[in-house]
Formats: sequence, C-alpha cells, structure tokens
Amino acid sequence: MVKRLTAWVLDGDPLGFGTMSSVARGRVREMMGEVMTAQGRSLPADDTADLREIGFRSLDFSELALRVEDELGDELNFDAPGLRRIATVGDVLDFIEQLQSA
Amino acid sequence: MSEVSLVPPATVVLVSGGSRGLGLAIVTDLLAAGLKVAAFARTVTPELRALGEKYPDHLHYGSVDVNDAKAGQAFVKQVEEVLGPIDALVNNAAIGQDSLHVHTSADHLAEIIQTNLTSPLILTRFVLRRMLAKGLKGRIVNITSICAQRGYPGLVAYSATKGGMDAATRSLARELGGRILANSVAPGFFASEMSAVLGQTQLDQIVRRTPTGHLTEPEDVLPVVRMLLLENTNINGQVLVVDGAASI
Repeated sequence: MVKRLTAWVLDGDPLGFGTMSSVARGRVREMMGEVMTAQGRSLPADDTADLREIGFRSLDFSELALRVEDELGDELNFDAPGLRRIATVGDVLDFIEQLQSA
Repeated sequence: MSEVSLVPPATVVLVSGGSRGLGLAIVTDLLAAGLKVAAFARTVTPELRALGEKYPDHLHYGSVDVNDAKAGQAFVKQVEEVLGPIDALVNNAAIGQDSLHVHTSADHLAEIIQTNLTSPLILTRFVLRRMLAKGLKGRIVNITSICAQRGYPGLVAYSATKGGMDAATRSLARELGGRILANSVAPGFFASEMSAVLGQTQLDQIVRRTPTGHLTEPEDVLPVVRMLLLENTNINGQVLVVDGAASI
C-alpha cells in the first residue's frame, strides 16, 4: 500500500522533486551533490559513476540519508548488508527510493 | 583517495549527568576553558544553578532523566537553539551498584543496564544523527570505569555496562571513519566513593597498593577529558585509564 502510494506520489510529480510524503530522485541527487560539495568534491552527472572513484563513502551515505530523512520527516533505518550492495551513484538513488517505499 | 582532515576542537559540549560529582567537575572545567556547555541531570543542583549564573551565555542546563529519550532529544534541540550545534558529547550519567549479583533484583539489573548502557547509546545515536546531518565533525567521550577491565564484587551489572560502553566506543571509532573521535575515560575508584563503603584500614591498604600513592580524584580526570575534546592527538577508539596504576 505504502509502495503504491509512493509510486502515485512520484507519478504526480513530473519535475522529480517529490512531495511532502517522499523525496524524489532528482532532489536526492541534488542533496547527494551538496554532501559531496561540502567535502570539496563534485558529483558527476553520470549515474554509473563508481562511488569509490568519486570518494563517496558510507558515512557520506549516512549524511545523505539523514538529509533525506529531514525533508521526509521520517527515519530511514536499514541494515549494513543493503549498503554494501551499493557501488554507483545510481545505486544510491535506487536504494534511497527503495527505503522510502519500504 | 587519501583524505586527511582533522576533527576540530569541540565548541559546544553536551554533558549528561552534569549536576554533581565528576559530571559537575567536567562542566565547570569546560566552562573555565571557554567552551559552551549544555548539562542535564535528573535533578538540577544549586552548584549547577550557580554555574548558570556565572556563565549565562555559555551554560545551558535542564532537568532531564537520561532514561527519558524524548525529553533528552527535546533538550538537545533546545541546546542547539540556545548555544548552537552540538559537536561533542560526554556520556557521564550513570547509576552505581553496591550489591552482590545473586541479591540484585532483576528489575534493578534492568535499571542499571538501561541507565548506564542503553540510554547513553540512544543519546549518542541521536546526537550523532544531528552532527552528521549538519555535516559536522565531532567528539564523543564516554566516562566508563576501571570496573570494565578488572573484577570487583558487588559491581557485576555496573561492570557489564561499563565494559559495554568501552566496546561501543571502539566500534563507534571504526564506524565513524575518523569524522567523529570516540574515546572512553575509565577512572579508578574515587576517594569519595571508596570512603563511603570502606573503612580507614581498607582505604590505607588500597592506597599503599597504588603506585602513585593516592586514589583517583575528579581533578585527575578533567585534563584527560579536556584533551580528548580539544586537542589533536589522533587518539581514537581508546580507553584511557586514570587510576594511578592501581589496576595493573
């Protein structure tokens, strides 16, 4: 039910910036860029970019998740194995989407 | 990719259990060092109130039970508004024990574990989430005890909680990747605590067996806590014992 609701919310948000009940992919990417900029690095436009190569570490993911939580008004808790599967920028965005719809 | 950036000295420090004993001494010491300090305890003592009058712009205090997570979190947000973002936490609040394990009720065991282990971990989690969300670096100092490393009768549950905090300290240091420095300070028995439960003969015997010739005082611990909060030492994930070598 929650999954369908989120999908509906995202479908109704053509600009990809989400609503009060979800933070959309475009906005999450923007926040990911902010996390990297704050550390003197930049986020490449390519979703296939390797996280190790661009220096995006697990703590950076935590910071991003906390920023998303802040906009979402809800906690996104997850186990470490889920995080270990993440290798690219696209994986990060997919994972945040999955967390929000879980 | 190599990334070397130091964790800056603490500027706003949250101290749990800061109304008396070692906690109050830590609060007093950090205020004297020019830091902004937030302190909470179940009961606000006249001594803490007096510090508030002396340092009105640098000290924020409140009556909060460390086991009341919601109240603790509300206090943290209040501190951020009054003093600015918290970049250091001193987990000092704890309750003691003076009962043999077989004669300690299950409820009292649970209370000791809740107060000395679960609640500090929950507070740490909340403060870390605020720090990371703001992109801050910071420092955590857990006040533990020599009981975590040596056995003492009458302190089974207490020792277990302090050992738990030391273990958590090491994992936090790993998990936080150098962005937050996490360390424990483990004092030996304070003279005041010992004199409350031991006779003069026993006290004299312990002092004789302590290479430095004196029991630990809060004043011995303060420079160590201050160092961990302010200095660049690359000490991380460690337990620093302050006991005059009584335990070695």
